[in-house]
Amino acid sequence: MNALDFEGIRRAYRKGRDVLDGVTFSVAPGQVVGLLGKNGAGKTTLIRIAMGMIEPQGGQVRLFGLDPRQDPIEVKRRVGYVSEEQILPPFLSIRDAFDLHRRLFPTWDADLARDLSEGFELPLGSRIRTLSKGQARRVALVCAVAHRPELLLLDEPASGLDPAARREFLETSIRLLNETGSSILFSSHYMTDVERMADRIVMIHGGKVLVDRGLDDLRERFSLAIVPRTPGLAGDRIRSLAACVSVRERGDAFHAVLRLEPGEARASLARELGVVEAACKAIALEDLFVELAGGRP
Amino acid sequence: MLLHVNAGDELPIYRQIVRQVADSIAGGRIKPGDQLPSHRDLAAQLVIAPLTVKKAYDELEREGLIETQRGRGTFVRERPPATVAAESRERLREAARRLLTQAALCGVPFEDVVRVLEEAKEKTTERTDS
Repeated sequence: MNALDFEGIRRAYRKGRDVLDGVTFSVAPGQVVGLLGKNGAGKTTLIRIAMGMIEPQGGQVRLFGLDPRQDPIEVKRRVGYVSEEQILPPFLSIRDAFDLHRRLFPTWDADLARDLSEGFELPLGSRIRTLSKGQARRVALVCAVAHRPELLLLDEPASGLDPAARREFLETSIRLLNETGSSILFSSHYMTDVERMADRIVMIHGGKVLVDRGLDDLRERFSLAIVPRTPGLAGDRIRSLAACVSVRERGDAFHAVLRLEPGEARASLARELGVVEAACKAIALEDLFVELAGGRP
Repeated sequence: MLLHVNAGDELPIYRQIVRQVADSIAGGRIKPGDQLPSHRDLAAQLVIAPLTVKKAYDELEREGLIETQRGRGTFVRERPPATVAAESRERLREAARRLLTQAALCGVPFEDVVRVLEEAKEKTTERTDS
């Protein structure tokens, strides 16, 4: 059974404008899925729907086959969640916050919590509200992983953190993967973090899933073609290629993302459009993001 | 064997590992029978997903460079079998083309490229001996 299933999720904000317009994808056990999308694409909304914090207006969400609004306790016990926002009670000390979680979660692993807090050098007696952003996020991370959840939901966990703290987040997530075999769904704007962690990429664009692929597959089977602009070659002609994912006009050239290896992309452009001087190369994740986000209506 | 990965590199991370392990074997820095770190240890050490390490090891195993012995771990193979000859030939040709392109761009004549290859060969042998 999948750790997480989204099926046809719809959710509108702002007077009938759909943020999510039929989003369907799953996270298999042990899988790490990187959720990408521009600001406002609906990543946070989607993760909150999985947490049962927001109700979808259409479609359904299941965690381990359960509805998070029907079985909130069962679901929450098996899930860990860290978001950009600080959600722990500000008046509690770190130690009290851990105690609270220990009582709520039967599977709480006190050794793991201690080990992580020592590694993070957390001042256990300090109140949450006196902590720096980085410290508060670390506390949230300990609270999210110490019960060894089967599914970890991370919503921009690294935003606003310095590189050292970001690295600790990755290390802790990898430890959880190694020791517990958890599944992870995480959104991030740090493409190098995504590359380190993710097996699969899901990119949300225009309210729908635009890309759902293995990371290495994306990196090895897609290419970026830089096609010089010539009279008679309109972006639409490139767009008409079956393998074309996006086209962006950049100065004297078109940037096209093609669902082909670089060699095939070159051959296809020559064969179908008579373009011979295109430069085609494998695409880095960051470029892929920029091209797709900017090259689609 | 010191592995390092660069997220954001043109090569996917698992390919970087495959290449570095293969280079270490070719250069004699790791020898037949040497044990490789476990998936988990290498994942923790490089801060990458354990599945990525598994993918790299699977590929190295397919290429006949390493083998996994159940319950014992992953080892460099005693005698790397001759891989599919045509395939390795083609890979070599590809590398040669890149080398010659590079040489042409730098204006290095072919005879000098041969000399560079000989120097590189001596270096590789030194490493194997040490």
